[in-house]
Amino acid sequence: MERYAFAPPCKLPRWPFMPPPELGSDTVTRHPIVIAGAGPAGLTLACELAQRGVRAVLLDEDDTVGVRGASSRGICHAQKTLEIFDRLGLYARIADKGITWSFGRTFSGEQEVYSFNLQTDSVSVQPPFINLQQFYVEWFLVERILELGLVELRWKNRVAQVTPMDDGVRIEVETPAGRYTIDADHLVDATGAHSLIRTQLGLDAHASRSTDRWCISDVRFRKPLPTERWTWVDAPFNEGRGVWQHLMGDGVWRIDYQMPEDCDTAHISKPEVAGARLRAQLGPGVEFEFVWIGPYGYRDHLLDRFRHGRVLFVGDAAHVVSPFGARGGNSGIQDAANLGWKLALVAQGRAGDALLDTYDAERRPAAAQNLEVTRRSARFLAPRSAAEHTLRRAVIALASRYAFARGLVNTGRMSVANDYPTAPHLPQGGRSVQNLPLQWTDGTPTTLMQLLADGTQLLGLWFAPTRAQAAAAIDAAAALPLKIVAVGGDCGLPTLRPEAALSRHLGLTAPGALCLLRPDAYRAALLDEATPALLVAALRTALAQA
Amino acid sequence: MIIEPHIPDPDAFYAAWVAAQEGLSEAQSADFNARLVLLLANQCGDQAVLLDCIAAARDSGG
Repeated sequence: MERYAFAPPCKLPRWPFMPPPELGSDTVTRHPIVIAGAGPAGLTLACELAQRGVRAVLLDEDDTVGVRGASSRGICHAQKTLEIFDRLGLYARIADKGITWSFGRTFSGEQEVYSFNLQTDSVSVQPPFINLQQFYVEWFLVERILELGLVELRWKNRVAQVTPMDDGVRIEVETPAGRYTIDADHLVDATGAHSLIRTQLGLDAHASRSTDRWCISDVRFRKPLPTERWTWVDAPFNEGRGVWQHLMGDGVWRIDYQMPEDCDTAHISKPEVAGARLRAQLGPGVEFEFVWIGPYGYRDHLLDRFRHGRVLFVGDAAHVVSPFGARGGNSGIQDAANLGWKLALVAQGRAGDALLDTYDAERRPAAAQNLEVTRRSARFLAPRSAAEHTLRRAVIALASRYAFARGLVNTGRMSVANDYPTAPHLPQGGRSVQNLPLQWTDGTPTTLMQLLADGTQLLGLWFAPTRAQAAAAIDAAAALPLKIVAVGGDCGLPTLRPEAALSRHLGLTAPGALCLLRPDAYRAALLDEATPALLVAALRTALAQA
Repeated sequence: MIIEPHIPDPDAFYAAWVAAQEGLSEAQSADFNARLVLLLANQCGDQAVLLDCIAAARDSGG
């Protein structure tokens, strides 16, 4: 029998437990913002706040990154996520360590039925996707937070009890050196799918589990393959079931195999069983070593509300979807980017409490949409009856011959920056804007993310305003979180070259139009003929002050 | 959803539909009809009409 080798475990960093000042003290210290959980969502939020000059305390029960050693959960980081990381100053490290890709192929049996190139729709500096093990992303986030200062990272600090109060939250924390109590103006729960905070507050997340079983094999092998996302609806080397294949950092391939419904997970993840599967896929003579093998089943849940008074839920604590299209980690990171600037403005006293309600109004519909999208993929991949198999066979048979049917082949719809529905604070709805490369009029290059990187304010991108309009708008918005940049014209403000791609992407169709962009690079409003008064009104609306 | 007659030669269409199933097993016939539905759905291309047709087909069953 063939013997299978395992790579030595990846060496992860550890950070020391430092006894916090509150330990052994009778006075209860109050912190403006406490974040529980140093996963991708919690760390991104901490980094957002640090970048904005806002203090926070981050509590984590562990003292390292990653889950279960070298295993990686999320691997595909979508463009919106990468743009957030660019704004936070860690994109270069992720691009350097990760695998950039934009092309995907879907196979049925031996035949390719469908392919896509995400790059064709992109105008961003960032690529559609970079694959990188989640623990690296967390690692780089921690180092960036340490570099920025302001956020206190407390390792080996576990939230044991939370008590909501009218004006804050009381938090009891357990550490290796004993328990202590702190108060927070706001507590953000980023403790993940099994959040005890959620349970303790008695919030039903409407969890459901499926009987689908999958087994991940993270492996290194010597066989040159393109850095593309390959999926099989029904792979001949996996008894006609689905397979996913993706390259991530350090030359490690993630191969995810669909297993028989309700199968014995201990058996399918044995090295000899997983090894035989891989041998069937790679063929004889290809050397490989395992990095990690792990079986799992899908589960999903969705909280009814992401805000409960002074407690806000982000990432898996609020919503869990099956992994199709990488909508889990990416949506958690995008939750954090949505909440970051809002919490910052509220903590700084520059916006009212109502702004925090908009987090729920935007990110809950986004999560509900992700749940619907991933459930549809799961259903396509695991037909529940002979009739459903018939329908899927029809789709696949037509897809290889006719373009129209390819749109129905569903091996996951890749994560997008969800649009936000219209709401009182978003009369036109919210649409994400990509990180366009730009130039100032003197030719100096910049990007949209660079324009958003410093401080916390909305950005008014104004197509050729007059000098008088520009001066009046600056006066009118002096006390408000707003920065105005002109696009073309000669108004005396900092001015960008009026390139066609910028005008088209922002919707600036004629001189006088203004795009009001939020710190999370979502368009808050588009004014066809902006005036100082209209601009101030739009800004107040976007801040939920109207 | 159009419910008034719209097929120019109904008998010829029906004959062609029947003829296309000749020699097919029950499973092959089900596969064939599923492919046919997809091809026709794409000709229609109107989401609301498609959903109406699904509901109408479901409601007309014995």
